[in-house]
Amino acid sequence: MKKFMLTFALGALVLCATPSILAQSSSSLAKAGAGKTDIPDLSGYWNIKGGSPSWDPADLQGKNPENLPMLPWAREKLEAARPPFGASATFDSVNDPVQKYCDPPGITRLYQYPYEFMFIQTPDTVYILYEFSRVWRAIPLNKEHTKDPDSTWMGDSVGKYENGAFVIDTIGFNDKTWLDQVGHPHSDALHLMERLRRVDAQTLEVEITVDDPKAYTKTFSAKRTFTHSDSPLTEAICSLSEMQAFQDQVMKPTVAAPKK
Amino acid sequence: MGKLTELRKFSFSFVCILFLALAALPAFAHHGTSGYELDKIVTVTGTVEEFDWSNPHAVVHITAKNDKGEPQSWTIELGAPGIMARSGWSKNSMKPGDEVIAETHPAKNGVPSGLSATSTILLKFIVNGQALPSR
Repeated sequence: MKKFMLTFALGALVLCATPSILAQSSSSLAKAGAGKTDIPDLSGYWNIKGGSPSWDPADLQGKNPENLPMLPWAREKLEAARPPFGASATFDSVNDPVQKYCDPPGITRLYQYPYEFMFIQTPDTVYILYEFSRVWRAIPLNKEHTKDPDSTWMGDSVGKYENGAFVIDTIGFNDKTWLDQVGHPHSDALHLMERLRRVDAQTLEVEITVDDPKAYTKTFSAKRTFTHSDSPLTEAICSLSEMQAFQDQVMKPTVAAPKK
Repeated sequence: MGKLTELRKFSFSFVCILFLALAALPAFAHHGTSGYELDKIVTVTGTVEEFDWSNPHAVVHITAKNDKGEPQSWTIELGAPGIMARSGWSKNSMKPGDEVIAETHPAKNGVPSGLSATSTILLKFIVNGQALPSR
C-alpha cells in the first residue's frame, strides 16, 4: 500500500509538472527567435534524393568546375583534384580526402551525400546529426562567434531564427575539405552561411552562401532541397579498414584489366 | 541438367536501352560510377558465394558461367546497407548457395564486376525465384 501511494504521488507530480515544463520550454524557444512563428519545425529525418555534385549555381552537374572565379592557387588545387564526380571524375586513384582517408566531408559536402540528417532544437542550441560519417554540430543560438577560433573541420557556428528560417553562420574552418563532390577547394578564410527553410511538410530547403576571398573572387550561393523521411538514421561510419577492403575487393579489379 | 543449367548459364544479354532519364541523375555513392557502363545492363545468373552486408557498400559475389561454360566469379556492388535497407533489403536478402538472377551495369574494362545499386539505382535481383525490391 505504501509503495502504491508513493508511485501515485510521483505520477501525480509528473502529470502536474509536465504542462509547466512544456510551457517553459515553448517560451524559451520563442525567446530564441524574433517570435514564436519564426521558429521552423525542423523535426524528422531529412534525405536528399538524387542531388547534384557541384555547388557552382551555374554548373550543378560539375561539367565545368573551372568556371567558378577563383584565385590561381585554388585553380591549381582544383586541377590537381581527382574527384569522384563531375568533368574530372575518376574511378580509381582518387585523392578525395573522404574516400582516401575517411576525412570528415565538411559541411557543404555533407549535404551532397545520399544520407539523412536530423535536428535537435533546444532553447539555446540546435544540434545537427549527420548520418554519413556520424558527425554532428552544436550551433548556439543568438551568440557571437568564439573569438579567434581554431581552424577545424566543422568550423565555429552560431545560429539564429529569422523570418521562419534557421540561419547558421560559420567561420574557423581548416582548408582540408572540399566544398563539393567535384573537388572545389576552399581556404581557411571560408565564411559559410546556411539558410534552412521548411518549404512545406515534406520539404526542407538549404541555401548555402560561400564567401571565401582567399580562394574565390566573388561569393556564390546555391540551394538544395531535402525530403522528409520516417526512416531513422543508420550507422554509416566511414571506416578506413572497410573502405580499404571495399577498394581491394571491388574498385581495383574494376580498373585492373583493360577491355580487350 | 535442363532448366537449372540454362539458368546457371551466364547470360550475357546486353540490354541496349539507354536509360536517359536515369543517366541524367547522378548515381551518388561514396565514390564515382565512371568505372561502370551505366547505359548498359547485363544479367548474371548463378549461385551466391558471399553476401557482404557492410559499409561503405554491400557486395555480392556470384559464381556464374562464362560463354564457354566455365565457372566465372562475379563481384557486384550494391548500395550502402542503410540506404539499401530503406528500399526493403536486409542482411538476410540472400545467403551463400542461393540461386540468383541479377541485373548489373558492367565494368567498363570487361572484368566480371558490376554495379547494381546506388542512391538512385536499384536493379532487379531474383533470389530463389523471389524478386527483391527494385526501382
